[in-house]
Amino acid sequence: MDHSGTPSDGSVVRAVLSGDVDQFSVLVRRYRDRYARYAAQMLGSIDAAEDAVQDAMVRAYTHLAQCREPDNFAGWFFLILRNRCFAERRRTRWESDLENIGEVAAPEQTESALERSEVVRGLQRALLRLTAEQREVFVLKHVEGLSYEEIAGRLSTSVAALKMRMHRAYDRLRELLEAP
Amino acid sequence: MKNRHWSDQVKQVLDGERELESLPPELRREAETARRLLLAAIDRRPVTLSAALETRIMTRVRGRATARWPRAWRWLLAPTLPRWAMLVPAAAAAALVLVLRTPQVDQSGKPQAMTGQRDSVYVRFELYAPRASRVALAGTFNRWDAAATPLVRVGKDGMWTVTLALPSGQHQYGFIVDGRNWVPDPAAPAVDDGFGRRNSVVSVNTINGRIL
Amino acid sequence: MKRLSAVLVMVGGLAHGLAAQGDVRARLVGRVSPELVQLVGTVADSARALGLPDAPLVDKALEGAAKGIAPDRIAVAVQGVFTQLRSAAGVMRGTGAAPTSQEIEAGAFALGAGLTSDDVAVLTETADASHPTMAVLQVAGALAALGVPRAQTVGLVRAEVRSGLPLGDLTNLPAQVQAAAASGVSPDAAATGLERAAQAHAGQSVQPKGRAKGNPHRP
Repeated sequence: MDHSGTPSDGSVVRAVLSGDVDQFSVLVRRYRDRYARYAAQMLGSIDAAEDAVQDAMVRAYTHLAQCREPDNFAGWFFLILRNRCFAERRRTRWESDLENIGEVAAPEQTESALERSEVVRGLQRALLRLTAEQREVFVLKHVEGLSYEEIAGRLSTSVAALKMRMHRAYDRLRELLEAP
Repeated sequence: MKNRHWSDQVKQVLDGERELESLPPELRREAETARRLLLAAIDRRPVTLSAALETRIMTRVRGRATARWPRAWRWLLAPTLPRWAMLVPAAAAAALVLVLRTPQVDQSGKPQAMTGQRDSVYVRFELYAPRASRVALAGTFNRWDAAATPLVRVGKDGMWTVTLALPSGQHQYGFIVDGRNWVPDPAAPAVDDGFGRRNSVVSVNTINGRIL
Repeated sequence: MKRLSAVLVMVGGLAHGLAAQGDVRARLVGRVSPELVQLVGTVADSARALGLPDAPLVDKALEGAAKGIAPDRIAVAVQGVFTQLRSAAGVMRGTGAAPTSQEIEAGAFALGAGLTSDDVAVLTETADASHPTMAVLQVAGALAALGVPRAQTVGLVRAEVRSGLPLGDLTNLPAQVQAAAASGVSPDAAATGLERAAQAHAGQSVQPKGRAKGNPHRP
């Protein structure tokens, strides 16, 4: 417990491992939506994101004893979800994502909003044509607002490697968005 | 195609590491285009998943909860072995014949009973090399020592052979003909050795006494 | 309690293994140049710090020396092995698994045989209590090394595990592909036939190219 009375991730993880399975719902409530936007952007639809989050949560429970830092459950869970997203991308490829793209960019009402919606869709279509790794770094930096240093820490890679990936993504996006 | 690549300074602006105003005038327009195309179109609205998600997850979690830890403890303490563990023989032994001309792969799946050291499997290596004056075997199992495991010529038809007890795991190897020519085993899978050649691979699995 | 004893013996073995890690340099002295001993020792230190096995690094250096390879090329190859081990471990840990040294080596082998990081991740997740990770990765690596295309390799191994067939059937796959190759069937065609057989056993419909349709995560 922290001083506010909210149980820390570590204490919840330990409670679950001690046999109090229902405590896992605390972690589900806490993290079910935190990375939903990331998953939706990676997979191209909210439905696919929901499947991925569900599966990652069940997997996190199954392997909970292997969570080396219970107080960093969030970071560990993110890696599991990330893997699910990459695996799902491999299975579905981008063709099916394009059919569902509208689900991420929800319909809007006004004319200018519709125009913007088209621009947003154009970028999302282009994002889906990047490699999963390029797309991920773009999403984490520009959608989730993380710095290169934060992304590097989360993915156990170097800032230089991430920048190279991102800069290739910029060029590829330009090719895709400016293509006739 | 090169015209479609942003300049490095523009990429720095996109990365938030450089102010647009610091760019020379000819690059500002490019940077503004880049921002409009890439950054202004980003949808950052939060995503909320369905209300039923938690119930679905917890239903599956509770379904898996039964006997996760008890199962582990049963494995440690119970008098009977779990199914897969029963497949581990104390002295598993089998023979694999790797032959140049006619690969003889154990299709029956029944290991040939031979006495071997604990958790090891006898593997017989054969090479057809009629013109060789000597043949040796080197691999991860003998520290790649080219002198450690000579093959013996069998009969007069050019077949060389040696039988080794290999521990469980994966082993890479090659034949050395006449002390200088490295030859992969044509009857075994092979992988790049990192030096521009191929290593043969044998996987010994003593879980069921069978060789992959 | 016998099994508890066995586990304690295994733990003892592990401790012995940890102690043995310190003698990487000793295993190389006399077989490779002093500079290479130093370099491999340094890479091995990095490997252990990341929880990776160091034996494959020593093996690669010894192999290079036995084959008469120039030290600088050996150094590159050792670094390549390190990279593969690190990649395999990273991918496997990313699935939530805590791979053993042997499992990491099997993952690195699969990468060396031509499978991708994505493939190794899928295969790691495919493993279950009846089909251990090491066996799954070794079989997949062996299939790839036999020339089975990587997408088919992954599809075949997944179908085999999901079919519920015993472990022996899985570990026998490379031998079956080899036997088919000996009778003139391409690795590709042999793998397709084996995959169909596994799916038929599982009562599933045959999917083209071994890809399951729909979302297998949906309950």
